[in-house]
Amino acid sequence: MNSTTRVKINDVFTYVFRASGFACIAILIGIFIMLFYNTIAFFGQIQPLDFITATQWNPSHHFGLLPLLVSTLLVTLGAMAIAVPLGIGTALFVSEYTTDLAKNVLKPAIEMLAAIPSVVIGFLGIVVIGPAISHLFGLSNGLNALNGAILLAVMALPTIITVAEDAIHAVPPTIKEASYGLGATKWATLRNITLPAAYPGIIAAVMLGMGRAIGETMTVLMATGNSLAFPTGFFDSIRTITATIAIEMGEVPFQTTHYYGLFALALILFLITMAVNVLAERIANRIRKFQ
Amino acid sequence: MRTCFCLLIFVFLGLSCGKQGDILKIKGSDTEVNISVLLVEAFHAQRPYPQLSVSGGGSGLGIASLMNGLTDIANASRPMNSKEEALFKEKNIDIVSLVFASDALAIIAHPSILLDSLSVEEVKQIFKGSITDWRQLGSRDMPLTIYGRQNNSGTHEYFRKKLDIEFSLYAKEMNGNAQIIESVKADKGGIGYVGAGYVIKNGKQSDHSVKILKIYTDTSKAYSPLDYDAVVNKQYYFQRPLFQYILKSSYEIAKPLLDFERGPVGQKIIATNGYFPIKE
Repeated sequence: MNSTTRVKINDVFTYVFRASGFACIAILIGIFIMLFYNTIAFFGQIQPLDFITATQWNPSHHFGLLPLLVSTLLVTLGAMAIAVPLGIGTALFVSEYTTDLAKNVLKPAIEMLAAIPSVVIGFLGIVVIGPAISHLFGLSNGLNALNGAILLAVMALPTIITVAEDAIHAVPPTIKEASYGLGATKWATLRNITLPAAYPGIIAAVMLGMGRAIGETMTVLMATGNSLAFPTGFFDSIRTITATIAIEMGEVPFQTTHYYGLFALALILFLITMAVNVLAERIANRIRKFQ
Repeated sequence: MRTCFCLLIFVFLGLSCGKQGDILKIKGSDTEVNISVLLVEAFHAQRPYPQLSVSGGGSGLGIASLMNGLTDIANASRPMNSKEEALFKEKNIDIVSLVFASDALAIIAHPSILLDSLSVEEVKQIFKGSITDWRQLGSRDMPLTIYGRQNNSGTHEYFRKKLDIEFSLYAKEMNGNAQIIESVKADKGGIGYVGAGYVIKNGKQSDHSVKILKIYTDTSKAYSPLDYDAVVNKQYYFQRPLFQYILKSSYEIAKPLLDFERGPVGQKIIATNGYFPIKE
């Protein structure tokens, strides 16, 4: 192969990679513009303040974001309350307390959890978790926020465990050894040295898990009952932003207020997820600076 | 590189010309999709032409697709609303509408409920949310939970308009008839409405883990959707026509299928699968 062909091949691939990079950004911007454009059409018909403060979503006449937003936050926070301690505990166990052999089995097994399709998890919510909740708490049915939170916790776990474990594993052994050398016990070292050093990574893990939970659709759609009443607790049936879009998009008459309203919801969801990701990045960076 | 591009363009051109081909697309109501598939299969066995494709997605989606030229026939379990009619007029699209079957809605409840029938007024109170416990209806103490379809499915809209109510905010909205049945089975205080085709097969109840309630009005006795004659004679309260909207431009190609559906063979298939034939 002479040098001109090699240069040519080089040039071609430069263009290919540049094009794929730009394509990715263009798609992102395109999606954002589409959401924004349709949302503006919505706000031409409904006051933004009404959208944000109204307490009822009933597309024949009420377009209130609040019950949907509260539902989304309720189920996400519930999921995090279950998944964060479990996930970080598992990550610590896998990276600090187990043998290499067990670790080589455990990590792929945990990652396999992420490969279960969300519709399967939602199905388990209907046939296993739902009846269990109704039996345990004496309710007539188990299609509520608690059910959704448990399922979302299961879905967020692999992300949290994998990322947190990587963060803990990345703490240099030398500083741990220095701690042991000063006579600290394993627990003291873990609590005072390893965990603080891995903190940014763990925050990132939690945030990524949260992003996963907020955006999840099928599972909550199947397991939470989707009633429109304003949620008051974990035993109430709820309806998240994602479920609302998924349920209503299929049958909404084209280019009506309701149609645009769903785009407005999608934009809100997009902004929330983006905020979570940006926040995760900033917290991680700030803490890194202090070290 | 350039030849590749040209090829791609040809492929796209070919796809966009597909309308002139012999593929007839049917799309719309989830209530109708089952029966539509059965009819199309039987029709296709008789004559292999034109090629047919059937998909669901909802009445609204079917009508929207018809408007955008993405389908030739839209299945709809509700009549077109005035907004949609206006849009068709605006876009200058001519359509033909016809009714090919009727559907009954079954009110189902958990089998442990001590009632066999409800009045229309009681159904109204239940789905409005004024009755919240089965005790109020004379059954055992048990909180009542409503299971229904999502708030803009054709079925939901039909039910709301027929009863002339606003649905209770506590009604759970399930994603499809099958999920409603599953939930009512599991909930001792559950009540819901589903297309009769989902609980009736060959004139008999296909699933005995739910109870199909009879419905009566002030003037009529209690009829069940299991009572074939009552539905055909329009005595059962919750029944509705099933529509098909056809693009005028595709009407010629579609006509053999439409005639088949409304003919004796088609109507027999409709009757044996939990739907009801049209009475001329």
